[in-house]
Amino acid sequence: MIRAGWRLQRTETLVTAGMLAALALLLIPTGLQMSSAYHHDGLSACLSPNASFGCGRAVESFMSRFSGIYSLAGWFNFVPALAGVLLAAPFLLELEQGTFRLAWTQSITRGRWIAGKLGLAIGVALSAALILTLLITWWRTPFVHLQGRMGANVYDFEGTVVFGYALFPLGLAAALGAVWRRAVPALIVSFGVYVGVRVFFDSWVRQRLVAPLTATWKAKTSGPDLSHAWVLAEGPSGPSGHIIPFHIGPCFPGRPRCTLNPPGHYMHAVYHPASHFWPLQGIETAIFAGVALVLLAFAAWWTHERVA
Amino acid sequence: MSTGLALVADGLGKRYGSKWALRDCTLEIPTGSVTALVGPNGAGKTTLLQLAVGLAEPTTGSVRVLDCSPRADAQAMLPRIGFVAQEHPLYRGLTVRETLDLGRQLNPGWDEALASERIERVGLAARQKVGKLSGGQQAQVALTLALAKRPELLLLDEPVASLDPLARREFLTSVMEVVAERGITVVLSSHIVADLERVCDHLIILSHARTQLAGPIEEIVSSHRLLTGPRSDPAAVARVHNVVRASHTERQTTLLVQANGHVYDSSWELHDVDLEEIVLAYMGQREEVAA
Repeated sequence: MIRAGWRLQRTETLVTAGMLAALALLLIPTGLQMSSAYHHDGLSACLSPNASFGCGRAVESFMSRFSGIYSLAGWFNFVPALAGVLLAAPFLLELEQGTFRLAWTQSITRGRWIAGKLGLAIGVALSAALILTLLITWWRTPFVHLQGRMGANVYDFEGTVVFGYALFPLGLAAALGAVWRRAVPALIVSFGVYVGVRVFFDSWVRQRLVAPLTATWKAKTSGPDLSHAWVLAEGPSGPSGHIIPFHIGPCFPGRPRCTLNPPGHYMHAVYHPASHFWPLQGIETAIFAGVALVLLAFAAWWTHERVA
Repeated sequence: MSTGLALVADGLGKRYGSKWALRDCTLEIPTGSVTALVGPNGAGKTTLLQLAVGLAEPTTGSVRVLDCSPRADAQAMLPRIGFVAQEHPLYRGLTVRETLDLGRQLNPGWDEALASERIERVGLAARQKVGKLSGGQQAQVALTLALAKRPELLLLDEPVASLDPLARREFLTSVMEVVAERGITVVLSSHIVADLERVCDHLIILSHARTQLAGPIEEIVSSHRLLTGPRSDPAAVARVHNVVRASHTERQTTLLVQANGHVYDSSWELHDVDLEEIVLAYMGQREEVAA
C-alpha cells in the first residue's frame, strides 16, 4: 500500500519538493549574505541595552539593505497553502476518476487504502512544513536578533504554526472534495477559503488568543521595551491609560483636543511581549491542526461510508 | 466451495435516495459457471456487481460471495475475487508496467508470470502510458490486473460496452481462454446480448431493478417457444404457460411463452426462439412490470 500510494502521489510530492527547492535557491544565498553582513557590521554588539551610539545607523543601514528581500517573506505564506491543497489532489482525483473502484477491489480494504492515502499526504505536508520552518528560521536569524519574532512576517514561519498551516488546506480540500467529488474546483475553493481564513486570523483572531499586556508610563521616560514586542496600540494617554486621539496642526474652536504638542504627559501601549510567542504559537497551531484533523477524519469517514 | 455457489443474493435491494437501483433480487450463481447478467441500461446490473464486490452496501437483503459477506469479510473475500468496473478505470498517468507493479504491491497472491505473459500476448509495451492506450487495450490491462490476482470469481461490469466489434471479440476470447485454462467462475454484465451466447452458459435477466429470469442458457432456450396463430385472446395459453410477450396484428397473434411442458393446442404453430429474442422480450416487459 505504501509503495503504491507513493507512486500515485509522486507528481504532487515532486512539485512540493520543487517549490521548496526554488525557495532554498532564493534563501540560501541571501541568507548567507545577511548573516555575513550582520557579523561584519558587528550588529550583535548593538543588542545590549547600552549599545554605542553608532549602532542605530548600522542597524538602519542593514535593514534598508535587505528590506527588499525581507518584504518578500509575506509571499512565502502561499507555500504551505499550495502544498496542502496540492497534496489532497491524489485522493480527490481517485474519487473523481473512479479509480477507487480499482483500488478498493484489490486485496486491501478500503479503510486501509483511505488511511494510507491520507497518511502519505499528511506525512509529506508535515515534512514540507518542517523544511520550510527550518529554512526560513535560519534565513531570518539576523532580523530576529534585531526585531524579535512577533511581527507577522516572522511569526508565520517560526515555531510550530506552519504545521497547522500546511495541514489545514489539506484537510479542507480533502473534506470538500470528498463530498463534492470534483477535484480541481474543490482545490481552488479550498485555497481561497484558506487565504480568507488566514487573513481573518492574522488580522483579528491572533491578537485575542492570549490577553495582551497594557502599560502606561510617563512620557519622556523609558517605558516597557517594545522593540521585540507586537504592539497593538500605542499613543499618548491620560494617567488612567486611555489613549487620547489628537490632531497636530492649527488650532481653532471646535477642535477641542487640538494641540501643537502631544497632550497628556503619559504614554500607553497594548502589546504582546516576546514571551507571548510560544503561548500564541501553541494555541494557533492547535486550532489549525485540530480543525485540519477533524476535516481529514470527516473526509475519511465520508469516503469510507458514502462513496460507492 | 461448500455450497457449490459462487454468489447468492437473497432479497437484495439497494436504494439511492428515493430511487431503487435494485430490488428484491434473489439469485444463485453456481461455482464454475460463466454467467451473463443482461438487461437494459439502468436495470441494476452495475449495482448488483458493486454490492457483490463490496463497493456498495445493501439497503435490504443480503449477498454472499464465496461464502463471505463482501463488506464484513472484505479482508478475506477481496483476494479471491477479480473485478473490472464499468469503463475499466485505470490510473491514466501510470505506464503498463507501473500498473502491474501496483497490482503486485496490492495483492499478496499476485501472479507476475501470468501478468507479464498476458501483456505480451495482447501486444502491449510495458513502457506505454495507460492513458494513451485504446479502449480495447485498456480493457485488456484491466482484465490482466484482475486475472493476475488469481481470483476464484471474476466479475466484469460491461467489459465490452465501450469496445469496437473487433476488440469486443478479442476481449471475450481472452475471457474464454481463462475459463478454459483455469475453470474460474465468471459473471459479466452487458446490455448487448449478441456476443454473450458464445461465452456464457448461464443467464440472468435484470430489468427494472428486478430479476426477470435466471438459469442455464440451454434450459432457457429450450423452455421458450414462439406461438403464432389466428388472432385470439392469449388467456387460455396463459393458464398453463407463462406468456412473456403477446403481440397482435389484425389477423394474427404471436406469443412468446415460457412453456410449462408441451404446448398441445393445435391452433398454435410452434417455433423455436433464439436467446436474443427471449432477452428482448423480457426486457420489453418492463412497462407491464412497472404498472
